[in-house]
Amino acid sequence: MIWQQLQSLAGSYPLALRGLGMTVVLSLISLVLGTLLGFGLGILRTGGNRLISGLIGAWVDLIRGTPFLVQIFLIFFILPEFGIELDAFTAGIIALTNLAACFICEIVVAGIRSVPTGQVEAALASGLSRWQRMRQVVLPQAMRIVLPPLVGQYVLLIKDSSVVSAIGLTDLTRVGWLVVQRVPNGLLVFFLVGVGYFIVCYPLIMLARRLERRMGAAHGEVQL
Amino acid sequence: MTKTGLTKTGMIDFRGVNKWFGSLNVLKDITLSVEPREVVVVCGPSGSGKSTLIRCVNGLETIKDGDLVVDGQRLGDPATNMTQLRTEIGFVFQAFNLYPHKTALENVTLAPIHVRKIPRAEAEKAGRELLAKVGLADKVNAYPAQLSGGQQQRVAIARCLGMRPKIMLFDEPTSALDPEMISEVLDVMVAVAEEGMTMMVVTHEMGFARKVAQRVVFMDAGAIVESGTPDEFFSHPKTDRSRAFLSKILRH
Ligand SMILES: Nc1ncnc2c1ncn2[C@@H]1O[C@H](COP(=O)(O)OP(=O)(O)OP(=O)(O)O)[C@@H](O)[C@H]1O
Ligand SMILES: [Mg+2]
Repeated sequence: MIWQQLQSLAGSYPLALRGLGMTVVLSLISLVLGTLLGFGLGILRTGGNRLISGLIGAWVDLIRGTPFLVQIFLIFFILPEFGIELDAFTAGIIALTNLAACFICEIVVAGIRSVPTGQVEAALASGLSRWQRMRQVVLPQAMRIVLPPLVGQYVLLIKDSSVVSAIGLTDLTRVGWLVVQRVPNGLLVFFLVGVGYFIVCYPLIMLARRLERRMGAAHGEVQL
Repeated sequence: MTKTGLTKTGMIDFRGVNKWFGSLNVLKDITLSVEPREVVVVCGPSGSGKSTLIRCVNGLETIKDGDLVVDGQRLGDPATNMTQLRTEIGFVFQAFNLYPHKTALENVTLAPIHVRKIPRAEAEKAGRELLAKVGLADKVNAYPAQLSGGQQQRVAIARCLGMRPKIMLFDEPTSALDPEMISEVLDVMVAVAEEGMTMMVVTHEMGFARKVAQRVVFMDAGAIVESGTPDEFFSHPKTDRSRAFLSKILRH
């Protein structure tokens, strides 16, 4: 019986790989986009324009304060009502990118605020423009504070990507649901699904831990 | 040309400047003119507004009323490009404020490369020369955390000089230093003054003031109470408040 199940599971191996691939691709695209957007939002949020800063703050709070499943449903099922048709993949990317950006924005803001004002004043006094101050002086120092939680956030977001199975994307979690219909051993199937996520996340967990240790010691530039 | 261009102005010209922090009047009706190549030492008790005074000159603080004209440009005037004006003004902080993630040389070359758009190789050559001039030829590649306080402050001065400024402002540049490092920084400042830099220096170092300052300005409670040559001020203070202040700093 268990032997049969294992055989049938082995037959699902191509499907599992596809699911794992989908999870990785979804996560990777939205983490890259979310990181870029998150840094942009974080920089704007600390930029001194009250209105922009307030709007970003409100949006971030809204996203952080609502379930991701609800956000994904809103994007996938409600937007079409307003004439914006999205396929599941695009909707998934948008929802995940937005979620990533909002969490990363907060991490970046904390990092920027941790840089002593004397640094900004020194940069200001030497005539660096706003962007040059950010790029040359503030961000490199903020990275020490930003990097460890940023990588930790990546882990959370890879796991959150499992929610996109709810709109029919065949990611690792959905593969689990499909397989369990053929192989009625939920424990075994979802144990293997869990292993799949863990394989993707574990290197990042290790990286976060290493960064945390390094940041404590480094005084100069951040080196990975 | 701003309207003030018509009258004769100093390099730094305060005219009836007032500044408030909330309800606190930190600068009271300041009128002071610093001529080109002049060195003015500003002293006074803690909280009297010395830092605020010089921070106004490069716009780290903004003024409420009165006129402040620096290098012919009126601060707060929409026609004045503050970023551009700041490139002409070096500022040396009490706490050095070197960029901790950059080496001594990178600290010195950052603004010349990015603001003055000087080619990197040229900026680095000039940067090495400046670091050698402040006695740090062997520390070019050191990070600030690897330098002593006196060395960090000399890098900070070199960083300002790298922009070839017309004016240099110093806010208690030696008061965060151990006593044995004070003179190495003062020596560099004397050299800069002797090359004809226009300087405003907040300091209680009388030796420095006597050596290079044309004028000492004494502040108390946000106002300029007394102003004169170092000799007049230190030997024959005119007001009770300056006498009380001097007796205090002379006792240490
Ligand atoms: N950002 C600020 N907000 C509110 N009050 C301030 C601020 N900066 C300075 N002050 C106040 O303004 C007054 C003048 O401060 P300032 O730093 O110019 O004095 P100072 O003469 O440089 O003193 P010290 O010798 O201690 O450096 C003080 O009463 C100080 O508490
Ligand atoms: Mg001060």
